[in-house]
Amino acid sequence: MAKTTEVTVWATGVVQDKEGRDVCLVLTEAAFNEGKFTQAFDNYVDLPDRINVQVRKYARISDAEIENKFEYENHRPNIVGVCEATIMKGINVCKGLQDGGYLIINSTKKPEDLLKYVPEKEKKRLKAIACVDALGIAPEQLIDYSGAEGAEDVSAIGLGLGSAMAGAIAAVSGIVKKESVLGAAANRTSAKRGYDEVKIKVLK
Amino acid sequence: MKERYKKYTVEIPEEMALPFAGIVEAPKVNGEQPMMLTGGWRIYRPVVDHDKCVMCKSCVLACPDATVLLVDGGQKIGFNLDYCKGCGLCTWVCPVNAIDRVPEIDFEDGVPFQDALFLLPHVEALYAD
Ligand code: SF4
Ligand code: SF4
Repeated sequence: MAKTTEVTVWATGVVQDKEGRDVCLVLTEAAFNEGKFTQAFDNYVDLPDRINVQVRKYARISDAEIENKFEYENHRPNIVGVCEATIMKGINVCKGLQDGGYLIINSTKKPEDLLKYVPEKEKKRLKAIACVDALGIAPEQLIDYSGAEGAEDVSAIGLGLGSAMAGAIAAVSGIVKKESVLGAAANRTSAKRGYDEVKIKVLK
Repeated sequence: MKERYKKYTVEIPEEMALPFAGIVEAPKVNGEQPMMLTGGWRIYRPVVDHDKCVMCKSCVLACPDATVLLVDGGQKIGFNLDYCKGCGLCTWVCPVNAIDRVPEIDFEDGVPFQDALFLLPHVEALYAD
């Protein structure tokens, strides 16, 4: 079986619910257009309808059909995205990270400054850590109070913060090509800026 | 006055008194209730300016998580940062604008670090190599 790349995106409940989800949707849409097999799914575990609670959004991308359909969590991610850097202070966002994994954070700070929030065990596995000022690039965070579960998304996918994050994740990890990620995001400009402006620190 | 309202008052025996919020105990300092640690939700930390504060205690009443504390023998306002979720209500109710909201990421400490959310034994196994 071909290897599946798993992406976990951390966001804040309700406030970034859509943007976190959009990161996963833009990446899987981009990969799907490249002919890959994909899954993107929302969170059912973290009780996501509480404002500012830490929530996770997931994506899986593979060259072959993905077989584990009914597991709604990525326990061993290859790529971790963090839509709000403060989340890292209170939780080990990289838990279960695969060796050679990537960590991409929305922050105006330098990647070196945020490395202290990654515990030693996970730090050894990180291939690169990167920061992108996604909120500065695309300040829109569409707040939808209808709830995470069963909500209908009437706006376009990848309009705000999520597009810049998806661009940055593509640039750092190379999981999808630049053209695909720009094509999948509704806000092409901010996806491009996320791709171009991400600050990367390679660790190994 | 007291007599007049007596007939509307129900005396609740101590063993039947409800805890905070009717369901759970008020949070304790030092993260003793790990499954409900809300300090990690906080993006803006409330910081009180003791010179401005007039000790009206509105913030104590307003905090939905009972995390505004009276410290120094009840002379000062403090916060239980293990559980304060940074909602900003205390800032909003303060009549003299004594509570500031400062980005949490600019402080070195103050948030209890959790290894995972809802970490139960069968979940821990799923993270293993
Ligand atoms: S920010 Fe909210 S939770 Fe924190 S102390 Fe103020 S009212 Fe309480
Ligand atoms: S509401 Fe403001 S003035 Fe009143 S006790 Fe709290 S901090 Fe002090």
